[in-house]
Amino acid sequence: MDKKLEELKREYKNTPIPKDLNKVVQKAIKQKEKKPLRPNSKWIIGLAAAVVIFMVSINTSPAFAKSLSKIPVVGSFIEVLTVLEIHVNENNYDADIKIPQVNNFENKEFENSLNQKYLDENQKLYESFTKEIEEMKKDGDGHLRIDTNYEVMTNDDLIFSIKRTVVETQASAYTTNKFDTIDKQKQIMLTLPILFKSDQYIETISEIIKKQMREQMENNPGNVYWVSDAGIEKLPEDDFFDQIDADQNFYINENHKLVIAFNEYEVAPGYMGAVEFVIPTKKIENILVGNKYIH
Amino acid sequence: MRKNKSEDKVIAFIIENQENFYRLAFSYVKNAADALDIVQESIEKAILKKDLLRDNQSVKSWFYRIVVNSSLDFLRKNKRMSLVDEDTLEYYRSGQNDSYQDIDLRRSLEQLPIKFKSVIILRFFEDLKIDEIAEVLNENKNTIKTRLYKALELLRVEMNEEH
Repeated sequence: MDKKLEELKREYKNTPIPKDLNKVVQKAIKQKEKKPLRPNSKWIIGLAAAVVIFMVSINTSPAFAKSLSKIPVVGSFIEVLTVLEIHVNENNYDADIKIPQVNNFENKEFENSLNQKYLDENQKLYESFTKEIEEMKKDGDGHLRIDTNYEVMTNDDLIFSIKRTVVETQASAYTTNKFDTIDKQKQIMLTLPILFKSDQYIETISEIIKKQMREQMENNPGNVYWVSDAGIEKLPEDDFFDQIDADQNFYINENHKLVIAFNEYEVAPGYMGAVEFVIPTKKIENILVGNKYIH
Repeated sequence: MRKNKSEDKVIAFIIENQENFYRLAFSYVKNAADALDIVQESIEKAILKKDLLRDNQSVKSWFYRIVVNSSLDFLRKNKRMSLVDEDTLEYYRSGQNDSYQDIDLRRSLEQLPIKFKSVIILRFFEDLKIDEIAEVLNENKNTIKTRLYKALELLRVEMNEEH
């Protein structure tokens, strides 16, 4: 072999090996096949409560609001602000909660109902967080962290899609997303049943997704979905993805394509994260009510 | 619990070759913590998918493929991949005719497009055979040969060995 190559090879072989490598390898092998439990199902026993110190700060993130206002849109544009942040920071217990508020809707009633919903879901989360840590403290051990955030997926003349994310961390993190997609002109919430002529969409979309899952698994050995006929027969039948829910998480992306979203562990192992599938419009145009939103 | 032979085979292979996987991952991500993550992730993926391993397929190229893909996914996600466009490539290609002589060799390996770097590492540093590399990179043998030849040309290294 060429001298230069030998020199390169020597250098390559001299890559320092961290001393935890073996530990990491052993751990990864032991963790095999354990489908992580949803963190919530553990940790409940206890004694003695303590006080949670928390801070509520009103925050209107002006930079973010400003960047949104710059989007040139015809007609009314919707702004999203963080109106309320809750921070808890106490030993092993952390919460970082950001509550969005939408405004500039013509239909104020609709606007209020959305904002109330965002407030309620975060409040509920916060309450269950405080309850859970009280119980954990009785036990004297454990840690818990909750982060919530949101992201505007689409905001154009017609469509406003917003994603809210909750990450709960105990031993491992568990992410859940929720989406709202709104027709800005009519100021109504879009749902899958509204978008499609009949509930045929459930089957059609499910089949499209299964096909995409199998293709991805074929093309990349690192991608795993719990789907039948893809070589992971070992899983019990019930664990396979069968159909989307009638009100499955979805949003409409900036290209006006339908995107179906799943939460972590819903259809794939944890390292795959919360997965999404873009549905090719061609394959669903026959069953869509029209091509106004999705094209 | 159904603990089959293929699982034992995979686990034994992983434990035995962990340092090679680590080095390979490191050569892509250039960072110990990330390389460890990739090794861990690859093992978890491999164990989950071991049933997809065909009887006649070598565990070696199958697992290397998982490590390479995980590394590439990581680079993609973290946008650290320094892609080289055709022009730059052309520049290096034509370089053999003029008189730049002392490009630091290591730097020149780092500057190779990932697909060329991969074949060099797998062929010469990890000592994989051409058909094993073809399996790892999911390409046919001829593509790998061409790519290897081009990679060496880009590195301006003489190829004087049979394959």
